[in-house]
Amino acid sequence: MTFRFTAVLLWFSALGISHAQDSSSVRQLQTVTVRGFAPERFMAGLKIQRADSALTEAYRYQTLADFLALQAPMQFKSYGPGQLTTVGLRGTSANHTAVLWNGVNINPPTLGQTDFSTIPVNGFDQLSIQYGSAASCVGSDAIGGSILLNSTPGWKRQGITATLGHRFGSWNSGQTQVGVRFATPLPGGGQLAGKTLVYGGTNRYLPTYSERKGYLVEPSETAQRGVIQDLFYRTKQQHQLSLNIWLTDNKLVIAPANPVSREITRTQAYRFLTNYEFGESKPGRWLSGRTLLRAGFIRDILDYGKGDDFDTAPSHSATDRLLVRAEHELEQSLGTSGQSISIRAGAEWVHYTARVDGYVNGALTEQRADLYALIRYQLTARLVTALNLRQAFVTRYDPPFTPSFGIEYRLLNLGTWRLDGRGNVARSYRVPTLNERYWKTLGNPDIRPERGFSQDLGLNLSDNVPGRSTSLSVSAFRNHVDDWTYWNPAKGYRVENLQEVLARGVEVQGQTAWQLGTWRVGAFGQYAYTRSTQLRVYDPSAIDVVGKQLIYLPLHTASANVFVQQGLHRLALTWQGSDRRASTFDNSKYLPEYQLVNLLFETAIRVRGWQGKAVVQVDNLFNEFYLNVKNNVMPGRSVALTLVFTANTKPDQQ
Amino acid sequence: MKQSISSRLLSASAAAFTVATLLTACNSNTDPTPTGPYTNGIFVLNAGNFLDNNGSLSWMTRNGKTAETDLFQTRNRRPLTGGVRGYVEAGNRGLILVDNSSTGLDKVEIVTTDSLKSVKTLASPDIENPRYAARINDTKVYVTCWGTTGGTNFYGAAGYVAVIDLTTNTVTKKIPVQRGAEGITIVGNEAYIGGVGGDKLVQIMDTQTDAIKTSLSVASSISKLLPDANNKLWGFSGKNVVRIDPTSKTIEATILVGTDTRKSPSNLTASADKRSFYFMYTFYDQADNFNQKGEMYRFNITDATISTATPTVNRLFSGLGLDPSANVLYAGFSPSYKQAGYVFRYQPTGQLIDSVRVEIAPSDFYFK
Repeated sequence: MTFRFTAVLLWFSALGISHAQDSSSVRQLQTVTVRGFAPERFMAGLKIQRADSALTEAYRYQTLADFLALQAPMQFKSYGPGQLTTVGLRGTSANHTAVLWNGVNINPPTLGQTDFSTIPVNGFDQLSIQYGSAASCVGSDAIGGSILLNSTPGWKRQGITATLGHRFGSWNSGQTQVGVRFATPLPGGGQLAGKTLVYGGTNRYLPTYSERKGYLVEPSETAQRGVIQDLFYRTKQQHQLSLNIWLTDNKLVIAPANPVSREITRTQAYRFLTNYEFGESKPGRWLSGRTLLRAGFIRDILDYGKGDDFDTAPSHSATDRLLVRAEHELEQSLGTSGQSISIRAGAEWVHYTARVDGYVNGALTEQRADLYALIRYQLTARLVTALNLRQAFVTRYDPPFTPSFGIEYRLLNLGTWRLDGRGNVARSYRVPTLNERYWKTLGNPDIRPERGFSQDLGLNLSDNVPGRSTSLSVSAFRNHVDDWTYWNPAKGYRVENLQEVLARGVEVQGQTAWQLGTWRVGAFGQYAYTRSTQLRVYDPSAIDVVGKQLIYLPLHTASANVFVQQGLHRLALTWQGSDRRASTFDNSKYLPEYQLVNLLFETAIRVRGWQGKAVVQVDNLFNEFYLNVKNNVMPGRSVALTLVFTANTKPDQQ
Repeated sequence: MKQSISSRLLSASAAAFTVATLLTACNSNTDPTPTGPYTNGIFVLNAGNFLDNNGSLSWMTRNGKTAETDLFQTRNRRPLTGGVRGYVEAGNRGLILVDNSSTGLDKVEIVTTDSLKSVKTLASPDIENPRYAARINDTKVYVTCWGTTGGTNFYGAAGYVAVIDLTTNTVTKKIPVQRGAEGITIVGNEAYIGGVGGDKLVQIMDTQTDAIKTSLSVASSISKLLPDANNKLWGFSGKNVVRIDPTSKTIEATILVGTDTRKSPSNLTASADKRSFYFMYTFYDQADNFNQKGEMYRFNITDATISTATPTVNRLFSGLGLDPSANVLYAGFSPSYKQAGYVFRYQPTGQLIDSVRVEIAPSDFYFK
């Protein structure tokens, strides 16, 4: 394993360099920039899209599945409202999207994919979508991209903010949230910030009609509840201790009116994370830098049953992950021409325990470890490069060494306009899920990790002045994934490394926002062309499949939104369009194309520290008919009203 | 091509939205022009993929090299919304048995036989997991149903026979029968009902009174019985084939099929003269990724032993049927449940005639 050896060597030499250079006696204080744990900074050359904060705020009472559809060109696979909803990025499958919560991959190890209908938008403060392979930065799964969910301390919002809100939805759906957020200085120069949020409610899809255009309605009911606790403590010396807890409980009932054969799926997650960060980079002292120590525990539980079986003998799966991570990041200026280098080297160890009914032995344990070195090198003010290296180790497995190289270059500075170019070449991998390896009969312990090799190019034109911002970006990508695993329907859904897939496409994205007196107006639009096809002929009938678009992947997708805002009143229209989606491998059957328009109107009254806000949301305004992957009809027009009361002890800080 | 109000409104309003027009323009989803009438040819029953609920009917003529697909959708501008389980005709009405992957969404579509135009939809709770249908007379049809299934005890509910009156297009009775009620075969004024629910019975129902007259115990469940030239009934019971005499209502013979302990016989299909039967002999190969393997064989009704030494066709099929008027064997081939299958046509001897691409999982045929 030369690659693995190289990785280990590089990692140790990276640490070694920092030690060797620390003898410098120059001590100079430098402003400490506390950065998130997510490795966005080392993703030079990759496309990262930060979610619109106003929309994030408006969707607080909904799930990530509802919200993401408006944000990005994604391949959505929904089994119905409130039911399993997965996304694929850039022509890859649901298993190829890493979901990182404060830097930790929360895809359950059994399924290796996140059901976005079980993730509430309120669980995080910031959302970014990263496109393209980023396995060197984030590890397994990030072949198509990753979703980065972060909790942020909000030091600037001093005082206590309490929130009480309720969303009244269609078919008697409702969601309630109670929360407190605070930030306060402590005696001795430290600071404390945090957030507590308790939420719960039920989303129902119980229309009075049982079919539409001859397609069936599958009624469902989803109860959701959870607790979020974020705590950040920062000392005067900028040491930071943080604790993040996120508990979720999601219970989906399909056909709730039928006690004999209703299907119940309960998904629970317990996520605990604690971090301790200290230190700072000092010029000339190469050892100096910021060190992160982390420990975490994640438990994922999935129960499934039909009728009474759910209570008496559910199919049960539970996995625990205990993780520790140590990471050191240094940053040094080189010379005076703006050159600088940042190196983040780290190691992570995760212990997995799985108890799954469907596994051959019922229970199993596994160790995984990662060594990584992320290097960001700013050559000139205009040129940034990133070289990232990762080697993962998995019990009984052999994941490939994963390097990536990215570059960003300022091509033009014209007045307030800038034109940036970027490029990235990356290897990526995915460790097969526990189900893929250990499921009775169908699983395959000899399956190989998937391997991807991707190239990505982009141009970004932007103009940023106070009161006006505009940007337009174009990206082109190519991602070749081999040993793509496949629950082969021709072999009773036994898992095999059958597929070799080539995904390629073009994305265009534009955004503009203007301040006109007391008015703010803006628009955002994006379009993606994604072609993703199977290359390898693995049996005689695969001739009908090779070269065909992967299932449920639209060739064209687009979304747009426009908004007008005046003070506390805001009107937004969002639109999304999807091309038809093949539902068979040979593209002989399709789900029809569709377009959805949603309307959001927000208004608020603020009296000193008190605020009352009302949001009216009309989903599927034009009552468009569209289908999910079970060939059942998705909801028509629906209306929801959200009322939120907020009290703030220091209103001036808002 | 469809253009909704939303697309018109928005594509006119801003440059960003021109994509909307682009999107719809890319897919001129024009439905194919229906042909027909469906009076002389073959309906192919495509089971579809279970969770996709995309079963369909295709139409083939006896000499045609292509099939007309998705007939119900084309004729009625709406889909069948489930797997296609069976089809039967009575008078000028056809009944399509539709099985959805979710409870309460199964149905029987009553259609016109020549154009497949929907006349009436029978739904849950009248119809729950419909399995097989049999014509009693031009206005009366029996449909066997499993009832609701699921859970640890999959066949928890009693099966039933839905008695359908085609003058009113309603289910007039639900006669409880064995669990997992399956095939239904009419001999004179009697219906022979098999099952897979573990009750190990063949029940005999009076088609005049719709009452169960008697039942016969069998060593292993029989899914469906077929009459031969002598009006004796044949069906697979485990690894054996049994012959039932409908007059004495006794099992006359039990013959072991083949000698391969891994394989089981299925898809019993009578030849044109009903003096021999074709069948599939299959297994899931543990040594090869649980790949289903098997071949097609044939035996004569006079055979004392059934040999599986030489297959009639050395290929695995998902459905068999015999066109009695042309004496041609039809075999459905499914590469996977996620792509279109093919119908292979053979001479009765097993010599290939041609193949026609149809839809997902061709599993049964209706010859007319």
